[in-house]
Amino acid sequence: MAAILLIEDDPLVRRGLQLALCRHGHDVRTAGTGEDGLRALRSATPDLVVLDLMLPGIDGIEVCRRIRAVGAVPVIILTARGDDFDVVGGLEAGADDYVVKPARPTVLDARIRAVLRRSTGAPDGVRVHRDLSIDTTALTVSLHGDPVTLTPTELRLLLTLSRAPGRVFTRQRLLEEVWEQDYLGDSRLVDNCVQRLRAKIEADPASPEYVQTVRGFGYRFGPV
Amino acid sequence: MKRIWPAVMVLLLGACGVRPSGPADAGRAPTGVAPGVTLYFVDGHERLRPQLRRTGRLGTIPEALSLLLFGPGESGLHTEIASSSTMTVVVSTGPALIRLMVPLTIRDVTPLGIDQIVCTVLGVHVQGGGSRNTKVQVRFTLPTPESDRLRTCPLIR
Amino acid sequence: MTGRLWPRGLRARLLLTFVLVTVLGAAAAAWSSAGSASTALVTSTQRRLTESIAGQIGAITPQLTYPPDQDALDRLRAAVGPDTLVTYRNLRSADGADTGLVTAALRAAVRTRNRLVTQRISAGGRPWLLVGIPIEITGPDGARTPSGIEVYAVRDLTGVDRQIDGLAWSAAGTAALALPPAVLLALLAARSVLRPVRELRDTARRLAAGDLAARSPPQGADELAELTVTINEMAESVQTSMATMRRLQADARRFAADVSHELRTPLSTLTAVVEVLATATAGMEADARESAKLAITETHRLVRLVEDLMEVSRFDAGTARLRPEEVDVAGAVRDCLRARGWLDRVDLAAPEEVLLRLDRRRLDVIVANLVGNALRHGGPPVRVAVSVSPEQVRIEVTDGGPGLPEHVMPRVFDRFYKADAARARTPGSGLGLAIALENARLHGGDLTAGNTSGGGARFVLRLPRNLEDA
Repeated sequence: MAAILLIEDDPLVRRGLQLALCRHGHDVRTAGTGEDGLRALRSATPDLVVLDLMLPGIDGIEVCRRIRAVGAVPVIILTARGDDFDVVGGLEAGADDYVVKPARPTVLDARIRAVLRRSTGAPDGVRVHRDLSIDTTALTVSLHGDPVTLTPTELRLLLTLSRAPGRVFTRQRLLEEVWEQDYLGDSRLVDNCVQRLRAKIEADPASPEYVQTVRGFGYRFGPV
Repeated sequence: MKRIWPAVMVLLLGACGVRPSGPADAGRAPTGVAPGVTLYFVDGHERLRPQLRRTGRLGTIPEALSLLLFGPGESGLHTEIASSSTMTVVVSTGPALIRLMVPLTIRDVTPLGIDQIVCTVLGVHVQGGGSRNTKVQVRFTLPTPESDRLRTCPLIR
Repeated sequence: MTGRLWPRGLRARLLLTFVLVTVLGAAAAAWSSAGSASTALVTSTQRRLTESIAGQIGAITPQLTYPPDQDALDRLRAAVGPDTLVTYRNLRSADGADTGLVTAALRAAVRTRNRLVTQRISAGGRPWLLVGIPIEITGPDGARTPSGIEVYAVRDLTGVDRQIDGLAWSAAGTAALALPPAVLLALLAARSVLRPVRELRDTARRLAAGDLAARSPPQGADELAELTVTINEMAESVQTSMATMRRLQADARRFAADVSHELRTPLSTLTAVVEVLATATAGMEADARESAKLAITETHRLVRLVEDLMEVSRFDAGTARLRPEEVDVAGAVRDCLRARGWLDRVDLAAPEEVLLRLDRRRLDVIVANLVGNALRHGGPPVRVAVSVSPEQVRIEVTDGGPGLPEHVMPRVFDRFYKADAARARTPGSGLGLAIALENARLHGGDLTAGNTSGGGARFVLRLPRNLEDA
């Protein structure tokens, strides 16, 4: 049971998805425009936002960017299949995952649950790596003692990588562990999330210390 | 293309060298041989008569004139040219005219005598291959209009 | 004459023809003038010799005794010169060995005609002139009779021959002089003719290569210019109809794209609500439950059809983008089969790990299509074999069914092509193989259809190993 904000302009689609997601046990609020959605977000923060990118007024990507600017609410975007421009734009704007339209409610539900599960992890104390400390019980991260706000996806990516410092994770493996996606998962999800994570925890995102790229294979944590 | 080459070859060979031929006509036969020379004298009826003098050859015009001036001999004919001490005759032969310089004056000959000279000269000329239309001019030693006349022989037409 | 000796190039043929005609013409002209000159030379030489002999004879005849004795004949012969034969009845006087060349034909002609007779003969490799002269007796009155004296003179014409040779050589030289200007003129003519021809050829090549805007400017008013104008007109009309056709095609494609795009919004609603419907079927009556299930199935079918249509539209519009990444082909194929629950129905033969740069999703689409088709239309066993060569990776999907009929083979990748009416109601959209082929080509690879020796259908996907990032 999660509190979901659905931003979708077409009233019938909106109603249909609302009905279907309610069936899956979610508490769904809806908004018809980006402005309405942002307003609803401010009045009560949901657990997750499902955002259609094709919106009148301010478009979905801009809405996503503004959501990301005010907090760490997870965002799943709805996009047309193969419309790479939308996918790339949405992921760069900070979306955690995307579902291709027409979205099957079961698929959407599975993604919603996967994203929300990321907020939970196996607690094994506080991991400290030089200036970065990760509290796996409180699920907080701080850099130089200052707290860093991470989205659930970013947090879970960091937890997964830091669980075994120095070990290389393929994108495929990360997709399965963090996003709970099958073999056809989009590796751009990983790359975009890594970019955002680096922007938050690395001193110089261009030459990262904590989340390092292993060319041709994937990513690893450290060695610090 | 196949037909051009033979034509070319014919053309090439055609122009090369002197080609043999069959007998071909090349003009009139030469003449001038004769058993003797024909002189002209006058008979009793004052008519010109030819007289073949068997010299074995035709001879030249001066030789014939010499024989003529020498006289007819024993033949019943006579000459109407006065005998002269010198027998020398100067002959110049042109294409259409034979010019004679005889050692006689106009008084040494009668008209028949002139005909004797003209006919004898023309006879030799014709027998030697000359034209019968050739004119004869007889010039005498003393000036006279008769010297300028162009004459023909009444017997040789 | 035609094949080897006669050149095939237009320039060479023009050149050869021009040179042949010119040189033959020059040679003919030179040869004919040399020919008439040599004839004139022979004739004049002949006349000069004959006249000189006749003159010599005429000069001496009045001095000859007649009938002649041996002495007279000798004198006559001496007057005519060497190589002379004089006869009179049984008498003869000869000088020089060459008098033996006198022919019987000449003697006969002399006797019968009683005129000067000449004959050219060739003996001992040299040309000779024979002159036969009968001498006549002319009476004071001009009547002519044969004298019986005959003179035969033999004269060497080698000098004339040499002169004629000289003429021939100079004719050959003249003809040869015509050669360089002929070659020059031929080259000029060939160039003036060939330049427009070459321009036309280039234009035609560009047209054939698809550059429909190619034109050649017509020059002058000759047949070539007419041809150029005609070709330009042809290109014009082809260009116009191609443009029209392209516009119509683009219109049709845009229409298909627009339609599928517009269908997506209602389909989104339907997709959302049919699941609600599905969870509620338990409490329905039997016929209502069946209706609900039909609606669900058909909605999912419709969704797949629209998705395929949009995919095809993207290929048509050229907006399909490859997203290559390093992929283990064998693993990807296995994942594809596993995800669809096909692993136990398909024999997979693949090497351990084949790393290749490709678009994982598109490979999945291709394999799923081929294997899905084999499972639906072919018979077991369905086999998938992955093999590797230095240049490419080959994925072969075969089945044990009846195979593809001959008439189906060329159209198997056509859109919405159904091999027979009975298969019209299959779960596929009818675009699967078309999309698979487009995906293969997007990778720079290829997809071909055929039959195995055992009779089953065989589809072979070839992907290049060095994919250039698009």
